[in-house]
Amino acid sequence: MKSLMLGAATVFVLSAGHLSAAPIAITHAQAWTMTASDPVADATIVIDGGRIVSVSAAGAVPAGAQVIDAGGQPVTPGIIDSATQLGLIEVSSAAGTRDETSEAHGIGPGFDVSTGLNSNSVLVALARADGVTGAFSYPSKSDEAPFAGQAAFLKLRAEGGIVDHAGAAVVAIIGGNKWPKDAGSRAAQWQMLRRAFGKARDGHHGGDRGRGGVHGHGDDPAGPPPGSDDAVLDAVLEGHAPLALFVDRESDVREAIRFAHDFSAHVVIMGGAEAWRAADALAAAQIPVVLDPQANMPTSFDALGNRLDAAAILQRAGVVIAFGMAGGAIEESYNSGLDLREGAGIAVANGLPYVEALKAISTNGHRLWGGGAGTIAPGEAADLVLWDGDPLEASTNALAVMIDGRQVSTDNRQRALEERYLPLATPR
Amino acid sequence: MTGSLARAALAILAASSLSANAQSMPARAVPPWRIDPFPSTYRPLPRTDFLLVDATILDGAGRRIDHGELLVRDGKVVQVGPALAHPAGIWVIDARGRWVTPGIIDVHTHNGTYVVPLTDIDTESSDVSELNSPNVADTWIETAVNVQDTGFSRGLEGGVTTMQILPGSSPIFGGRSVVVHPIPATNIAAMKVPGAPQGFKMACGENPKSQDADAHDIHGPTSRQGEVTYIREAFMAAQEYRDAWNRYAQGKAATPPKRDLKTEALAGILAGDIHVNMHCYRSDDMATMLEVAHEFGFTIGSFHHAAEAYKIPAMLRGAGTCAAVWGDWWGFKMEALDGVRANAALLDRAGVCVSMHSDSAITGQRLNIEAAKVGGAARAIGIDVPPERMIRWVTSNSARILGLQNRIGTLAPGYDADLVIWSANPFSVYARADLVVIDGAVAYDRAKPPAHSSSDFELGRAGAPRP
Repeated sequence: MKSLMLGAATVFVLSAGHLSAAPIAITHAQAWTMTASDPVADATIVIDGGRIVSVSAAGAVPAGAQVIDAGGQPVTPGIIDSATQLGLIEVSSAAGTRDETSEAHGIGPGFDVSTGLNSNSVLVALARADGVTGAFSYPSKSDEAPFAGQAAFLKLRAEGGIVDHAGAAVVAIIGGNKWPKDAGSRAAQWQMLRRAFGKARDGHHGGDRGRGGVHGHGDDPAGPPPGSDDAVLDAVLEGHAPLALFVDRESDVREAIRFAHDFSAHVVIMGGAEAWRAADALAAAQIPVVLDPQANMPTSFDALGNRLDAAAILQRAGVVIAFGMAGGAIEESYNSGLDLREGAGIAVANGLPYVEALKAISTNGHRLWGGGAGTIAPGEAADLVLWDGDPLEASTNALAVMIDGRQVSTDNRQRALEERYLPLATPR
Repeated sequence: MTGSLARAALAILAASSLSANAQSMPARAVPPWRIDPFPSTYRPLPRTDFLLVDATILDGAGRRIDHGELLVRDGKVVQVGPALAHPAGIWVIDARGRWVTPGIIDVHTHNGTYVVPLTDIDTESSDVSELNSPNVADTWIETAVNVQDTGFSRGLEGGVTTMQILPGSSPIFGGRSVVVHPIPATNIAAMKVPGAPQGFKMACGENPKSQDADAHDIHGPTSRQGEVTYIREAFMAAQEYRDAWNRYAQGKAATPPKRDLKTEALAGILAGDIHVNMHCYRSDDMATMLEVAHEFGFTIGSFHHAAEAYKIPAMLRGAGTCAAVWGDWWGFKMEALDGVRANAALLDRAGVCVSMHSDSAITGQRLNIEAAKVGGAARAIGIDVPPERMIRWVTSNSARILGLQNRIGTLAPGYDADLVIWSANPFSVYARADLVVIDGAVAYDRAKPPAHSSSDFELGRAGAPRP
């Protein structure tokens, strides 16, 4: 515990050294604080020491503050993508740039993507330019069905690495045709999941189980070694980390609810194409769902129920929803910001209240994966985006992106290419 | 360009009527590449004449009319303007606050051949491309299309009124495409746009060479230079075939050349009767292909994907070649690394015919929003694209790629009445297609989803709406 405290303090001092001395005031903003259903009009947001000091309508600007005039445009919390492989995949067809998966023998739930993240990926810079300040970056399949490994929560700082915290969740994948033949039946996959967690639980009966934990700061010599498969499963059983379960079919969603109950585990449904069919049960069990707001095709027999109003149905039932993997396939990591916002807009067009869509790409991500509340409220980290229009419109751009109170560059490789070749586009 | 495309369209029309009256016409007038062995049986859905009033009309050709009116009779646009005479008793559609555009045209889909859910049979032997050779110019993709693909109805609900279904990009010569209206049908002929010029798929770059390098029993090119040689050799054979046909057609030879489905398709390209849709990403690949086309005297109708088209606008403009591009796909493979979102806007500004394409049944439901993404990226580098200009990317420019620019993609007198009434500015993510009209008939009405709005596959399954 001691070493963790020291680590945190060191990080703070280093960051503080880079902070501008003067406070910052964003003025004339339409501030979506996410603490209310409506934005604060003509808001002044005061930021100091990397954190939000105050937000108020027509509030005063502190003496000596650097002023950013929002000109009436929206300011929202930084966008959080709740399911992406940002930082893990650079060029899909270049194996040397992919770190999202391991099929090495014996690699299981302990597989930790946080040690393989590339903060200088051009995909990260583009996501930042699109207003993404945080992301849940998850592993694909490991060698041990049904586990993928441990996901990381990223904060897209321009310097000093993008890992906010490792072990943001333990990820497992269950469904039809998800695993090779030896784990082909989903019934076998559920059996494997229950067996693994049952073993972890029984292995420590009566002892001080889980001191090692996913954060690796245990001091109990009897606990499993930090980062080991057992330690990782313990972290879920102890409530330190959620189990992020990729499931789509209604039967698997309901099985996930049963699993959460039986193991007192904090489960997050990932994908959840047919989660809307179990909306009430999910709400009762307080199980959140991360979904692709653009999915409306029967992309697999597990996902026959994909529909654009799934987010609206779930939210209405009281389920906490967050968006991720928007657009699937290519979009999910290559356009982590733009397609997520577009997807949230599509969800609004299909019945989701506007502010709930904003939550699904900001504060709800924090609720699921940690890293503060993500609201624009005193004491919160100043991760903010100033937009040149409605952030849920695909044509809207981020004018300024702030992470921990510092405006970060929105330069990216695409923009550099566009500017290089702009002179060839002689108007006709 | 326009004239020759129109002539080609007429030639195809002539060919189809010829085949119906084969006995009374001299057979030698019809070159084999113009024969359509799978003729359209399409009939417009039941329709009523109507008058649209108080709409914001984007005519697809660059004009915006506020509070505009539009008259449709017998499936054709009769008049478009700010204030028209109102025929007595006509069905009047009040479009106050709503926007009207030509129907969206998607020039690149694999609907019906990449049918979700994909299963083992697709993994083993997909219908996207025939893979027995790098040259499958003899294939017609319409002979593979499963009309129950949900991609058709989803696209229609997104305002798409015409789609081109292309073969995939693993072969170098992928075969004929088919142009369809996404209406409910039990076979592809009933969806096939009658009189559309024949389209054809070619591919360059990574996909064909890696396909051939992977295949153990096919000895196709394994490099870019090998692909180019392969293409040139095939067109040299096609030149001989075309010349032999011409000698016969001119009465200088007693017999026509022996039918050869591959070579005659390429001869049709050389003759300008078959439109080439060529999959290429890199600017150098496209430049090389333009040289090859120049060598053999044909025009590449369009490059598809064309991630680096923005690097060679003058070349494309000079060749009269369109670019069909994505809004924001990039980076997923080496030849896509330099894809940029402003691609379409940069090309449009430089006077290149540019079109948004989908290549995906998800993206294909929102080509208007793909265009909007481009608009945002363009604004950031100082290019403002107004909606009346942007709409061309998904309507009239797309029609040009299909050789149908005189029939669809524009709301003007004499054009097919393919149009969409949008609930809002179509480049807003909140806009919904309220009414989709094909040939003057309502094909989709959001207020009254028809019985056939879902495919047979979806009937009685989990996706069905809850009560």
